[in-house]
Amino acid sequence: MKPPRWFRWRPAAIVLGLAVALALLPPVARISVYTQNQLTLTFVTIAAALAWNWLGGYLGQVSFGHAALFGLGGFVAARLQISAHLPMILAWTAGGLVAGLYALAWGHPTLRLRGPYFSIATIGVGEATRLVCTYWDWFTGGSSGMSLPVTAGLKLQLYWYGIAIALVGVATSYWLRRSPLGMALLAIKSDVDAAGDVGISSVRLQDGVLFLSGLAMGICGAFNASYYSFIEPVETLGFEKSISFVFMGVIGGVGTILGPALGAVVFVLVRQYFIASYPQLYLGLFGVLLVLVILFEPLGLTGLSLRVARRFGYRERPDLST
Amino acid sequence: MSVALRAEGLSKRFGGLKAVDGVKLQLREGEILGLIGPNGAGKSTLFSMLAGSLPPTSGRFFLGERELTGLPAFRIARAGVVRTHQIVRPFAMLTLIENVTVAAVSCGRDPDLGRKALEFAGLFDRRREFPQRLTLAGRKRLEMARALATAPKVLLLDEVVAGVNPAEAQEMTRLIRRARDELGISIVMTEHVMPAVMSLANHLLVLDAGKLIAEGSPEQIVRDPSVIAAYLGKAHAT
Repeated sequence: MKPPRWFRWRPAAIVLGLAVALALLPPVARISVYTQNQLTLTFVTIAAALAWNWLGGYLGQVSFGHAALFGLGGFVAARLQISAHLPMILAWTAGGLVAGLYALAWGHPTLRLRGPYFSIATIGVGEATRLVCTYWDWFTGGSSGMSLPVTAGLKLQLYWYGIAIALVGVATSYWLRRSPLGMALLAIKSDVDAAGDVGISSVRLQDGVLFLSGLAMGICGAFNASYYSFIEPVETLGFEKSISFVFMGVIGGVGTILGPALGAVVFVLVRQYFIASYPQLYLGLFGVLLVLVILFEPLGLTGLSLRVARRFGYRERPDLST
Repeated sequence: MSVALRAEGLSKRFGGLKAVDGVKLQLREGEILGLIGPNGAGKSTLFSMLAGSLPPTSGRFFLGERELTGLPAFRIARAGVVRTHQIVRPFAMLTLIENVTVAAVSCGRDPDLGRKALEFAGLFDRRREFPQRLTLAGRKRLEMARALATAPKVLLLDEVVAGVNPAEAQEMTRLIRRARDELGISIVMTEHVMPAVMSLANHLLVLDAGKLIAEGSPEQIVRDPSVIAAYLGKAHAT
């Protein structure tokens, strides 16, 4: 079978190689449990940041409510594992599907709004979801949360699943950005009405991307609940969580393929170092970072590294060499 | 000759304002229909209705036998009626080749049509650049190439000649003529640059304050007293 025209072997091989190397780390290099867990958390954060970027970056519809999808996926998966004793992976899938459908339910009407208006609507969705889940005791366990079953060897298993999820996230990002579909998304981002005038169905495409984003977010949230063996509404559904996805996207490079992954790594590292000693400070730090990025390098770390690479004589290939 | 595009009693009302008032229009296949009239006559509103970006208040329109009234813009584009914009609206984040390829693909055409359209508009050598690098005339040609990439049956050109220098205007005029003669596309065009529309149009419609006030061949229209009155005032119309 011939791969599609937009497919490139080299980046695919690099990413796959990296994933295999990471997967071999625990058994071969005997990394500490702490490092292993930090990496697991990074993988799932990467996937979530990428999923946010599909909507916020490729379509320019910046969501401040993606924690709603992350949290809902987590709660549904947790409830299904606790009450219905569903196997973990099945529960994750169900959580993802519910989050995707939920995203469609509020997204189908709100995606007709653009720019700041859409963003404001998502803040409302996020907060409403948090409140409903906080008071919906019998399903979510209310403010005291729910504990999930812990099995032997779970953490190592999650490490590998985390790699797989991040890998799927990267592949989907590549597909959405580089396939002909990606052109249509950028056309919508450039000018939604002009896009319609040449036959691009913005409603269907935006809905589709939001569903994918919700599905991935839900699975990440479900994964997160399994990782902590616990889920409660304040942390998973809070505005802070929603904002964190925006941080990662913007700092890494909105609309790029791997930028948000980079942003996720930075976010996890910085948060880890600061949260213990200065629990409030790290948000302020990210605020400053956000302002600097928007002022000086709208493509974030990706833009910065491209700039450095160009200094050393690198010339990037145009996106579509037809 | 058969009819490509037909509209009956097309009206658009914005509150108390009748922007377009009961316009009847017929575009024959392989012809250019010129739509002229003073500023605010309703030309662009009429275009927006035909392209599906504005729903008409009343009236109907057809592509051949197929009724298009009430369809969303992307369906009308896929059916074969595609517009350009008076104020150019290229996809700023896409290169030129991507601008046209995305149009072709979205209408279910061969992606190669994008390349052909860009060649047709004389922009192929710059295909990897972004629209921002083009002059206004270049962007107007891109606007046209993007519409052509969808292999339209009917092209709606909204002031594609206006605002560029005389040499570029001639080039654009040539392009429009070739679109009709070589590609066999039926065209409705609005234009303020009279030499262009007079030399291109097979048939002219004159719109004033939303109403059709005259129609006929370019030679007839320039002598029509009601047209002169609309443009220059009643004192000149004798």
